[in-house]
Amino acid sequence: MNENQVKQHLQEVIDPEIGLNIVDLGLVYGIKLDQKSIQVTMTLTTQFCPMGTSIVESVEEVLKESYPDHAVEVSLTFEPRWNAAMISAEGKAFLDG
Amino acid sequence: MGTNVTASAGKDVPVSVVLPFYLYAGLSFFVATLLLFFSSESLGGHHFQPKILAITHAMALGWGTMMILGASYQLVPVLVESKLQSIVLAKTSFWLAALGIPMLVYGFHTFQLNWISHLGGVAIVAAVLCYAINLAWSVSKSGTESVQAVFVLTASLWLLLTTAWGLLLLLNFSMSTFPADSLVYLSAHAHIGIIGWFLLLVMGVGSKLIPMFLISKYSQDKLLWLIYALTNGALVLFLLLELNPHLQISQYPSAAMMGAGLLVFAFYCRSAYQHRIRKKLDPQMKISLLAVALLLLSFSVLVALINLVDTGEDTGRLVFAYGFSIFFGWITAIILGMTFKTLPFIVWNLVYRHQSSRRKTPDPNALFSHTVFRVMFILYGLGFIGVFAGILIANHFIIQSGAFLMILAALLYVWNLGMVAMHKPENLNSHE
Repeated sequence: MNENQVKQHLQEVIDPEIGLNIVDLGLVYGIKLDQKSIQVTMTLTTQFCPMGTSIVESVEEVLKESYPDHAVEVSLTFEPRWNAAMISAEGKAFLDG
Repeated sequence: MGTNVTASAGKDVPVSVVLPFYLYAGLSFFVATLLLFFSSESLGGHHFQPKILAITHAMALGWGTMMILGASYQLVPVLVESKLQSIVLAKTSFWLAALGIPMLVYGFHTFQLNWISHLGGVAIVAAVLCYAINLAWSVSKSGTESVQAVFVLTASLWLLLTTAWGLLLLLNFSMSTFPADSLVYLSAHAHIGIIGWFLLLVMGVGSKLIPMFLISKYSQDKLLWLIYALTNGALVLFLLLELNPHLQISQYPSAAMMGAGLLVFAFYCRSAYQHRIRKKLDPQMKISLLAVALLLLSFSVLVALINLVDTGEDTGRLVFAYGFSIFFGWITAIILGMTFKTLPFIVWNLVYRHQSSRRKTPDPNALFSHTVFRVMFILYGLGFIGVFAGILIANHFIIQSGAFLMILAALLYVWNLGMVAMHKPENLNSHE
């Protein structure tokens, strides 16, 4: 298990309004792994985003499903604030289409 | 550096707060189009008459204001970056307004302005007071400075003044609360509501949501402050000139200020559009952007009206065209579009949030019929053009034909609204 594999699982979580996965959207700021736990630090496109709780719960669910033996902790931060420049090249291409 | 997720859980505004406003507004729109159809002959005489007052208040309060109040409760946390402080105040504002509006509209329609319509007016002012207190409370708890929060808060204060002024005008019919006839103060009442409440709120909320939905990199707070100053300045100047007719100064300076504010806002929207990352626009966004164009139409009619007033000519038909282009034009267009940019997500959040991750659930946009939405859009557009043109050329048949298309558009809107509101969870296994 490595960071890239975790990211691949997180790509299954889609922002319902934008239709793009949270990794390419640039919402995932950091992933920490050890033998027992996974810590994800992420943000939302806007603070108090109405879909925020849903997105965070989906992240927890996807990771718990994929790594049942690990404790999952998701932390939200708004520093730095998300902006459109954080979207990956793949994400921009998707939105361009 | 992070905040644990539990800190954000439970901050969502309950659907039971927001949904009643949407449904009430949808039904009000339908009723207002029916009133328009059956009262179309009234669109020829003087604008200060019972049926026109009933239609205007059904549209301004039942449709526009109820929809905006409901959407505000959902969007306030996004706009002011603070949670909505009181669910009780939000629900109280619904019941007060929901009871007060029909009492007032019925009073206007029958022109029986007795204690029932007075009570309705008091209930509406109380509802707006609940809204303004809740909003100010939420803004005060926000840790960040937001220009949009200032727009929305100022708009709520103008709404409070509009409804309080309206109540005094209503009482003036029987108690002489003003030194002159109510007609003298009608334009001030109407423009505090149109510019101070609707326009300022649409600009404030639009300046946040349009770039957000377009995923635009554009942001320019200085321009927004300029728009804020021009819009409020234009309204204050308008009121000064309107309430002091002895000055005998034309309204052109206030209109020029308002026009400048609208142009800067249109420039802001265009810049956000040009810097967008999401290239493909959905129909809901298209109709919302159309509202910005309709705003400029209302403004053009206003300039023509001022010209007629200054030259002492009859303003009759143009007053109707002006009012129609506001309430059935840009206010309606923006609501028709934004309803389906917000409500499906609110309902989706309620139905699917605790069931599964997004990969197993339907797209929120699939909660309403896009075909019905498109047909509604076309009928609304044709209906608007029909009534507007019919008023200008004083053709009753064209007005009534346009009003009939508006009724059909309202029916389709309510149909789609009901489809979203009554959505039941799908069998999630079929999406795997």
